[in-house]
Amino acid sequence: MADFVQLVILGLLAGGVYVAVGVGFGLVWGVLNIVNLAHGALVIIGSYITWQLFTTLHLDPFLTLPVDAVALFVLGYALQRGVINRIIRAPLLFTFLLTFGLNLVAINVLLFIFGSDFRSVTPAYSGQGLEFGSVVIPYVPLISLGVAILLSAALAFILNRTRIGLAINAIAADRDAAQLVGIDLRHAYAVTFGLGAACAGVAGGLIAMSQAITPTAGEPYTLQAFVVVILGGLGRVSATVVGGLAFGLVEVFAQSIPGSGSVFANAIAFGLMVLVLVTRPQGLLGRLR
Amino acid sequence: MTVRKLALLAAAAVAAVACGSGTSTGQTTITLGAPLGLTGSLTKESTLTQQGYNLWLDWINASGGIVVNGVKHPVVIKYYDDTSNANQSAVLMQKLITEDKAQFLLGPYGSAATATDAAIAEQNQIPMVEANGAAQSIFNQGYKYTFGVLSPANKYLEGVIDMAATLSPKPTTIAMLSADDNFSIEVADAINSYAPTKGMRVVLYKKYKNGATNLSAEVQAAKAVNADIVLNSGHLQEAIAINKAAKEQKLNAKIFAYSVGPSTPDFIAALGNDANYVYDGSQWTPQVKYTPAFYLTVSDYVAAYKAKYPGLGDPDYHVAESTAACLALQRAIENAGSLDPKKVRDALAALDVTVFFGQIKFDSRGINIYKPMVVEQIQAGVHHTVFPADVADAQAKYPTPAWDQR
Repeated sequence: MADFVQLVILGLLAGGVYVAVGVGFGLVWGVLNIVNLAHGALVIIGSYITWQLFTTLHLDPFLTLPVDAVALFVLGYALQRGVINRIIRAPLLFTFLLTFGLNLVAINVLLFIFGSDFRSVTPAYSGQGLEFGSVVIPYVPLISLGVAILLSAALAFILNRTRIGLAINAIAADRDAAQLVGIDLRHAYAVTFGLGAACAGVAGGLIAMSQAITPTAGEPYTLQAFVVVILGGLGRVSATVVGGLAFGLVEVFAQSIPGSGSVFANAIAFGLMVLVLVTRPQGLLGRLR
Repeated sequence: MTVRKLALLAAAAVAAVACGSGTSTGQTTITLGAPLGLTGSLTKESTLTQQGYNLWLDWINASGGIVVNGVKHPVVIKYYDDTSNANQSAVLMQKLITEDKAQFLLGPYGSAATATDAAIAEQNQIPMVEANGAAQSIFNQGYKYTFGVLSPANKYLEGVIDMAATLSPKPTTIAMLSADDNFSIEVADAINSYAPTKGMRVVLYKKYKNGATNLSAEVQAAKAVNADIVLNSGHLQEAIAINKAAKEQKLNAKIFAYSVGPSTPDFIAALGNDANYVYDGSQWTPQVKYTPAFYLTVSDYVAAYKAKYPGLGDPDYHVAESTAACLALQRAIENAGSLDPKKVRDALAALDVTVFFGQIKFDSRGINIYKPMVVEQIQAGVHHTVFPADVADAQAKYPTPAWDQR
């Protein structure tokens, strides 16, 4: 029983990272209809910023997360306004190609600056945690989960309670009508992408603490963001939160299948995604549009 | 254009071509081909491999080149980036042979790419000497043109078992975690059959997807069996993930040993104090005591590495084994007295020489089963060789203290 409880806890904690990775991706996909193949690269840029600040200034990694968010927001805004906006009305394939290219550029720039060495952020309190008998809740993943939930709440607040957020919702509902009422499309698009990138940056900061990073370490997260958003459902931040937590649970339980069954963890997770697409395409919590 | 201008242009072109072709001294260079994963998931290890090749390249060209029947031939190594993709590596290997006219081949990094490249070397009947593909599956294909200077995969963790058998209180149970690529599975399967011969039992054998970054479920399974020894067979990223999870989830053991990862400085830099007490099986450490027949001694090699690549610490075994591959090829060419691929291949098959890396001799399949693995342990942030006793520079710190007692 304690083992089962521990696995549930581990799954939810793993889900924290997936939530953070997924909310930004889902926002950009839902509003801009861009499947950002460079999302993983944005995540890793955030990881490197956190790592650099931790290593040179000895800043606690959780305190560097706002820096990641701001830096990636600026980068995302500039990217959208300067590069991606040019193909925003083009067919989906063009955005695939462009973001794929941006991904390659970002990875190689990181490789050039930081080299391929594996790095990780291991603060002094890493490894410690709350203990309830034989069940352990380690601090770093716990705080990461908290950060991810806070991030999602902040994003939801921005989207639903601020002017720019309502403008973004309007564009997502009907782009031409939004323009008719005077919403500046380019600025709103850029803010959306910037917000998505900022979430990616925060996710990156969390990842730097949970694993070893190298310029190519972001690639799996693009795919996992995809699955998280589909599992949860496109359209609402809370849906992505559910998707991320569900993905974490599925991954941990699939990996605890005895013997060799655990190598099918990925297959099981993606199989679940296919199942959701077939039976409930709007996702666990999403709304059909 | 007038005829006069055309004639002048043609004359200039002919002159340019005449100046460009051939070497000034009339010597032919020997071209070696090497596809490496310089970008992608294996960038770090491929860079180390390239460092090993280049260290030898500088040395051989400083002395004029490889001597073939009294004539010195300078060496050129043509590198391509296979982006850590094994199939791409084979494509590039073929390109090196067909377009770049590589006369001999140096291996890529990793068993996956080495396996695909070995097939190309065999098809083209050009010898490939490799140092970074230890999976025996490569050498069980009956290839005649691939030679591996490193100890095969099955030996990677056997040294740890040998060492454990000498320690007191003797550990008896093993939890084996393994990635699912061919190299890692070979390492793990070897332990499954070797451990009982030393009086130990494998109580858990769990595989996970190669490249996984969240291994909390696997660590939880290892915790449930409470084994004396926790082994991981995988690569650097997984070793770091398992170590972090072990501390978080309070997995304790008398011995933590990872097949690949702890030997690189990245492991210590990434984990800080949490890296202490970890063991790994190593192809080579700077503490080994071999008397070389040619090239540098162990201490001179370490100094040469530090001079060419300052700030990186001691050379890791990936660097040393890569240099050893070049040395094997060089000695074989010298012994053959020819650049004919078949004669060099035969010379490689008959080779038996000791260099700073250890004995280089190939069994009938082409892999070096004659050089022993050593066991290292990280103590206070520094690597020490702890087994076998004749090359050890420190005692093993055994048993590993529990996480909350460090």
